[in-house]
Amino acid sequence: MTVAEESGDDHGHHLPAVEDWPRGFGEASWWPFVAALGAGGIYLGAALYVLVSRNIVSYGVFAGAAILSTLLFLVGLFGWLYHAFIVSFWERGADEHSAHKLRWGMVAFLGSEVATFSAGFVYYFFVRVGDVGEVPHLFGSLVIVNTALLVASSFTIHFAHTSLLKGNRKRFIGLLGATLVLGLVFIAGQVYEYYEFIVHEGFALGSGEFSQVFASGFYALTGLHGLHVSLGAVLIGIVFVRALRGQYSAERHVSVSTVSMYWHFVDIVWIFLVVVLYVGAPVA
Amino acid sequence: MDISGQIVLTALMAVFLFGVVLFLARAADWRTYTPLAGAGSGIVSREGGYGHAEKPAGIFRWLTTVDHKDIGILYGVYAILAFAWGGIAVIIMRAELITPGIDVTQALASSMGVSNGQNLYNGLLTSHGITMLFLFGTPILAAFSNYLVPLLIDADDMAFPRINAIAFWMLPPGAVLIWAGFFIAPFVDSVAPSMASWTMYPPQSTAQTAQGGAASTISQLNAGTDLMLLGLHLTGVSATMGAINFIATIFAERGPDVGWDKLDIFSWTILTQSALILFSFPLLGSALVMLLLDRNFATTFFTTDGGGTILYQHLFWFFGHPEVYILVLPPMGIISYVLPRFSGRKLFGFKFVVYSTLAIGVLSFGVWAHHMFSTGIDPRIRASFMAVSLAIAIPSAVKTFNWITTMWNGKIRLTTPMLFCIGFVGNFIIGGVTGVFLASIPVDLILHDTYYVVGHFHYVIMGAIAFAVFAGVYYWFPLVTGRMYQVTLAKAHFWLTMVGTNLTFFAMILMGYAGMPRRYATYNLITVGPIDFIQLLHVLATVGAFILLVAQIIWLWNMVQSYLEGPRVGPDPWNLEEDGVDSREWDWFEDRLDTALTDGGEPEDAETDA
Ligand SMILES: [Cu+2]
Repeated sequence: MTVAEESGDDHGHHLPAVEDWPRGFGEASWWPFVAALGAGGIYLGAALYVLVSRNIVSYGVFAGAAILSTLLFLVGLFGWLYHAFIVSFWERGADEHSAHKLRWGMVAFLGSEVATFSAGFVYYFFVRVGDVGEVPHLFGSLVIVNTALLVASSFTIHFAHTSLLKGNRKRFIGLLGATLVLGLVFIAGQVYEYYEFIVHEGFALGSGEFSQVFASGFYALTGLHGLHVSLGAVLIGIVFVRALRGQYSAERHVSVSTVSMYWHFVDIVWIFLVVVLYVGAPVA
Repeated sequence: MDISGQIVLTALMAVFLFGVVLFLARAADWRTYTPLAGAGSGIVSREGGYGHAEKPAGIFRWLTTVDHKDIGILYGVYAILAFAWGGIAVIIMRAELITPGIDVTQALASSMGVSNGQNLYNGLLTSHGITMLFLFGTPILAAFSNYLVPLLIDADDMAFPRINAIAFWMLPPGAVLIWAGFFIAPFVDSVAPSMASWTMYPPQSTAQTAQGGAASTISQLNAGTDLMLLGLHLTGVSATMGAINFIATIFAERGPDVGWDKLDIFSWTILTQSALILFSFPLLGSALVMLLLDRNFATTFFTTDGGGTILYQHLFWFFGHPEVYILVLPPMGIISYVLPRFSGRKLFGFKFVVYSTLAIGVLSFGVWAHHMFSTGIDPRIRASFMAVSLAIAIPSAVKTFNWITTMWNGKIRLTTPMLFCIGFVGNFIIGGVTGVFLASIPVDLILHDTYYVVGHFHYVIMGAIAFAVFAGVYYWFPLVTGRMYQVTLAKAHFWLTMVGTNLTFFAMILMGYAGMPRRYATYNLITVGPIDFIQLLHVLATVGAFILLVAQIIWLWNMVQSYLEGPRVGPDPWNLEEDGVDSREWDWFEDRLDTALTDGGEPEDAETDA
């Protein structure tokens, strides 16, 4: 913290990266560069996959590049989160200002997510206006159970947050853990549903039993949503581990509230999905 | 070459690059950038002579920086490199179009690994459009906003400095993938630069081979297009991260005395632009992924029995039209910011410029189908889009009148930035008015897909956006470098650019009236219409393009030379205080000069362009 303290009298200018590597500087961090290198590598991996399918590159080159870049990306992200949020968590003290901007950041991100999802929904509505062809049986007990789980998890994360604000740490951790479990069971349910559809019912991309036009929309939307739930589970997992290690308090709870916002958003998208896709698709 | 040979080469290349990095890292005495270019001590200290450094020296500084000013400079350098790539592409195209037949690109094609001249032309056309919009346009505006917005709103830095850095570092791999077709084509026959054009309409973008024909299996598809789509997606993620960052910054990081009523016009336009990016780029991202899935995994998003090409066009233009305002609003902000400084008065009707910015932001999401008037969509939908498209001319005109009234009876000083501002207004009027005609369905049906459209949007993109960029570059050059550029060269740059722009693009507007279709490498098959007239106009347009090339070389030389050797400036290089139009970023500059003088020495006599 020496750099930050020394600059305390400097017009109150906060240095953004006092803990990061390379050490000893306030405005330098390797993590964005490393993470970007990994992210670029993941895209390069996707590009190599395309070249594999065109018989230009061998499979090994693709696999190597993909694994290495994913690792690099994760290392970058881990270092970033660690130095920016986790290390010296309590020393930084409560900072309303930084909480404010992080919440704005999450609100803006969720705005962009609306646009990401809407392309898939627009496709579905566009083909749904006409005849989508034969649709498999979609709405069953699995969907009802999964929906109940996800809605319940929205409540548990909300009450986890309020417990933290009231200073009931034990309940906070318990409800957060419950949210994580509910989320994981939901993901397992989705995987099971995919398995049933693809292996037993012959509802898949590239196989002709059911409408391909519908399958494209179904797997795009549920797949995109599944990715978001998985990311949400990772985020809740991070918050959960940090909570177990004694972080967060009634004054220090920004990431709990931003992750909670994200989780509610994913929940709302799911309900919309159930209504238009699972219930709405077979309606004549 | 076999695969193992390639791996050995790649490994050697990696060792070489590693060596270069080591060399650069050790050469700590190489010219380290300092904003005041004075204290070349190897370490960089913010606020001048302080005991320690906030950033490492040499190349590591640039790789690790999270300082918004450094990242702004990185964006600027990146955008200029992209501008050069897109510029060279179009120079080859214009050279091709001097004569009606295929010649220049035909001669180049085989050495670039492309099957024929037309395919090379189409590849260059695609690369020119994508590069100028996504790799030059958005990043050069991010250069200005990164450097300036935190200074203008009195913030320490961006809200998320690390996200700022990663958003930049995603761009170079994005560019490599977008251009990858050109790099791979010489070695692999089945890969060519993408020929999908910047709009990437299916089925052209989902079914084209490297030879330009239709593929019958996935393995025949030109991988150049897949790589371009992936690169575009990456740059879109980067732009979205930047937009989130600017929204959080402007909402949450304003200094204590910068209320919403005190927010400057440039930050207003950046805030609006960020909101547009937030809702349009992710949608494009999803559409690009859908194209990739259609190409590689047999989904039906844009196939004829699925959503079809019309769905793609809806999605694309729901992004594509706001993209126009993503690119033009911040330049309008630069003009609204710079033009009053050299008119000796405040911006006329500030509030209305803000309101018109917000109005454009909202309306821009309701006009997209004017790009689809000739596709056979429902006439009732067409008519409503025509109405909104005509209506969006109103807020644009509000701005134009505000700029003119700001200059009216003002104390005008014709410095280079001011010349570019005035050039902007003039060109924007031509670009805007030609656009109003296109918004009208019957006129559009005649002019659609002719050079008239190309002339119209280049008047806006080159004549207005690039002019505003140059106005900003000249105006803030002393702020960033502490030095003044060479005034004579700058004025030569302006006049050549002004003449070149109008020669090239007015010729295109006339060509469009004469019926010349756009996007063709040749025009030797035209047998009706004023053929000699079109031929003459093509020559004029090419002459204009070469004038533009010369002008930009002059500009580049001026920038580099002045950065290295230009005369130092005083705290108020534009004499703004005299007219009472000084602004926050120059106060910051003065602070910085004061603290730097302790180890720098007296500045030479204040240099100015006035
Ligand atoms: Cu438009």
